[in-house]
Amino acid sequence: MLRNPKNAVSRGKTRPALTGLASVALVSTALTLTTGTGIATAATSVTPLVVYSAQGYDSTETTAFQKATGIPVELDDDSTGPLLTKIEAEKNNPKWGVLWVDGATAFASLDQQGLLMKGWEPTVSWNALGKEAVPPDKSYVPTGFTMAGTLVYDDKTVTDPPTTWQDLLATKWNGDIGMNDPAVSGPTYPFVAGMMNYLGGVNQGEKFYTGLENNGLHVYLTNGDTLAALEAGIIKLALIQSSAGIGAGIKDPDIKVKFLPPVTALPSALGIDSKAPKAEQLEAEKFIEFVLSTQGQQLMQSGDPTGDSLYWPVLTGVTPLKALPALSSIKVQTINPYTWGSREDTINTWFTDNIVE
Amino acid sequence: MSQGIPLALEEPEGASPQGAGPDLAAQVGLPVTGKRRGAKAFGARAADTLSRYGGAWVVWLILCILVAVPVGAFLLQAISPRMFGQGSSWFTLSAFSQAFQANAFKALLNSIWVSVAVCALDLLIGGGLAWMVQRTNVGGRRIWPGFMWALLLAPTYLMAQGWTYLLEPKGVFAQMGINASAVYHVFFGPAGVVFVLALANAPFAYLTISAALGGLGSQYEEAVRVHGGGRIATARVIVPVLAPAVLASIALVFAETMSDYGVSSTLAFQSHFQMATYGIYEAVTDLPTQFGVAGVLSILLLASAAIPLALQSRVTRGRSYAILSGRTRPANRHLLRRPAKWAMTSVVAGFFLLALGAPALGAFYGSFVSNLGVEIGAHDLTLNAYREVLSGSTQYGHVQVEGASALAAPLLLSLELAAITATVTAVLGLAVARLLAHRRPGRFTKAGDLLLLGSIALPGIVLGAGYIFAFNLPIASRFGVDLYETLPLLVMGYLATSVPTQSRIMMGQVAQVHTSLLEAARVHGARAISAWRSAYVPVVSRVLVLAWLVTFTKTFFELPISQLLYPPGQEPISVAINSWVSNYHYDIGTAMTVLALLLVFAVIAVVSGGFRLLAPRGWQRVGWRNVG
Repeated sequence: MLRNPKNAVSRGKTRPALTGLASVALVSTALTLTTGTGIATAATSVTPLVVYSAQGYDSTETTAFQKATGIPVELDDDSTGPLLTKIEAEKNNPKWGVLWVDGATAFASLDQQGLLMKGWEPTVSWNALGKEAVPPDKSYVPTGFTMAGTLVYDDKTVTDPPTTWQDLLATKWNGDIGMNDPAVSGPTYPFVAGMMNYLGGVNQGEKFYTGLENNGLHVYLTNGDTLAALEAGIIKLALIQSSAGIGAGIKDPDIKVKFLPPVTALPSALGIDSKAPKAEQLEAEKFIEFVLSTQGQQLMQSGDPTGDSLYWPVLTGVTPLKALPALSSIKVQTINPYTWGSREDTINTWFTDNIVE
Repeated sequence: MSQGIPLALEEPEGASPQGAGPDLAAQVGLPVTGKRRGAKAFGARAADTLSRYGGAWVVWLILCILVAVPVGAFLLQAISPRMFGQGSSWFTLSAFSQAFQANAFKALLNSIWVSVAVCALDLLIGGGLAWMVQRTNVGGRRIWPGFMWALLLAPTYLMAQGWTYLLEPKGVFAQMGINASAVYHVFFGPAGVVFVLALANAPFAYLTISAALGGLGSQYEEAVRVHGGGRIATARVIVPVLAPAVLASIALVFAETMSDYGVSSTLAFQSHFQMATYGIYEAVTDLPTQFGVAGVLSILLLASAAIPLALQSRVTRGRSYAILSGRTRPANRHLLRRPAKWAMTSVVAGFFLLALGAPALGAFYGSFVSNLGVEIGAHDLTLNAYREVLSGSTQYGHVQVEGASALAAPLLLSLELAAITATVTAVLGLAVARLLAHRRPGRFTKAGDLLLLGSIALPGIVLGAGYIFAFNLPIASRFGVDLYETLPLLVMGYLATSVPTQSRIMMGQVAQVHTSLLEAARVHGARAISAWRSAYVPVVSRVLVLAWLVTFTKTFFELPISQLLYPPGQEPISVAINSWVSNYHYDIGTAMTVLALLLVFAVIAVVSGGFRLLAPRGWQRVGWRNVG
């Protein structure tokens, strides 16, 4: 083998080639950067309101808000998970203005980290549920309610569904039950916490979920995945968010929804970034007032009629969509989002290690 | 092994031109080394150094900004959360103890053994298919590369889902009266995970090995046969020659398998088989987010990339594998007899049926059958979803929501971003491949190699979060540089995922290009640039086109980085599709996917057709044949 690395000839030729390649790459990267930054900096004089939202009706709502007020809105429409990841990662230098997702525990957790603007509440006429959902420090504003962990099944395959939570532990349902992973699916942690709250504590709740696991519980990522497993026949009973179940029932009349007593209320809410510029915070307040106006509520109910529009209102004078059962027919419990929000991390870790594993 | 192969494996480095001396070298316009005195000499030396190493430094600098800085930031916050506003300590190891409590090692070991198994299977599958398509007259040679393409583009979760649809209790087999419950139970476990990932990652092995086979004329095989060697002797000669490609394919398949999220979050997760990427995902989506734990898991994933790299450096150390020179002749095909030909054709067809049939079923069933499973007997096929997507309005019962599912803007945006990313990746990837293919890499190159392969092994969500940490610093905002949530940063994020993979695919080919091609051009009086253009570009042109196409398609459908970095109000198509699906509008989501796929196939047809029509014929005959 010839070992002569000091070969001027081969270097002299290949290196300029590399330099050429590098400069092409550099020029094209620079070009991309400059053209793109041009787009980014061409902002209007009015501060745009940046909305991070996972709601199915959000684009309907932001479009109408922009039309009504002239305030430009930049909507980041995504699942709850990536939105919260972004907010946590940009803690150093937040870019969001207002957040709109399901789950008061998520907002409580953001509040405890000091990420939410406190002390402001719109002047509206709350109903009983709404009044209960406004936090004492006024760090977020409820916009509606769905239920966490409702029982969804196909009445062609299940003719005698369970009627209590304890029924789910019967061997009759061995291998037939599915739910979402609370560490991934936003609306599922409140369900897990709600069961612990109902049964009298974390230990009792863990016992219940261990019982479910021993009864062959299937855990999927999100509502959609669990619903797909139900429709595919892998499971017979799905424990998912009420809007997903009722929406599926509209598309397929064989899909039924049952509220095992008690079912845990899951508020959707809007929270304002504590570090946003004052101008943007004021725009965010206007947006919240718009959402809770008569027009805003109509848009919330028409924007996603087979999904997120299936909510129980927080305001007096707004009636829920017809597909929703009357609240008086359901036994509902609310949980303290601050008590349970701070336990989310440890409870989810327990769930991952003992139920998912 | 190399001692036993007296073929042209040893590059005649420095043989002729040095003998000719500096005068001749100066005459033909080559940089001259030798002792000179004075300022002139210093200037010349500086210019020389710049031309030698300038390019390499620029390439490393770009990679540093694209990959090292964001990955480094993500890893750094695991031990110094305060630096990125994630906690109160400047230095802590608490994330490590937390990660190890949470079964991190178990998940990592699962990921590693699955990756090793997938590597072994894919060497057989990819290598076998490459040999059949390149070197035999197996039937359907013109269509298989296209299928391999389609497989490269199929998302792994779709493949897992497709197989689930086939095997599940109320699935397609059950509808057809086939009892698949035994297979179903085996499938829902590690076996199914390895199976789906081996099918999904086979194209990486196929592409890298095909590239090498394409550049390898049949003269080596003929030489062995002339000297009386049999098949085993032939293999003993050919396999080592292909070593860079085989090792590149091992490294690539290993890293791609380690980083896979599609299967680890569906099939593996549902069968209670935890893998490392899922652990990272769970830590990142937990609230409050456990970036520290994700950082520790990422360090372990990154380190695992050292396994295939160690193998690579042991085997290829200091050897040259340059076989693609002016004397390379197209290889002859083995003419199989009819029974053998049919047998091999059905093996290849069978592979694609397993790999593509299932996901295709998943995608199309999902979009046409609105209530899968429940009403499967009624075959409720409907085109409503497509009509809604194309008209840009969604019919909800009696309510018409205008513009709800508008497809045009996200589609055009993704088209533009994917085209820019693909173009930069092709050029930059080639430069990086040349650096990595260096026969005697220095420590710096080795470290860069580990970082690049390691970054392939990291899931997109880590890169995305790393980009936020690194490019959304308050200090930068104070100077008016706000890159986060702009299109340029999104393109940089895309580049960070594509350049490491593409440069590794190109490496096998680049390592084969003999410097004699360039030397010949220079000796004939061509200047550096024109020598490069006339002697080098043609040889790598197919690889460049291929890299462009792969990057374009992968970028078009990239989700995790798009989700974290896209500017609000400017949704890429992948984010738009995901939003519909996560709000339970599967029909619209899937219809959008199908239409987006049609657009991507049209771009692939135009670009590869354009290359075939416009590029000189000679360009198309060298290097990768039957690959793209």
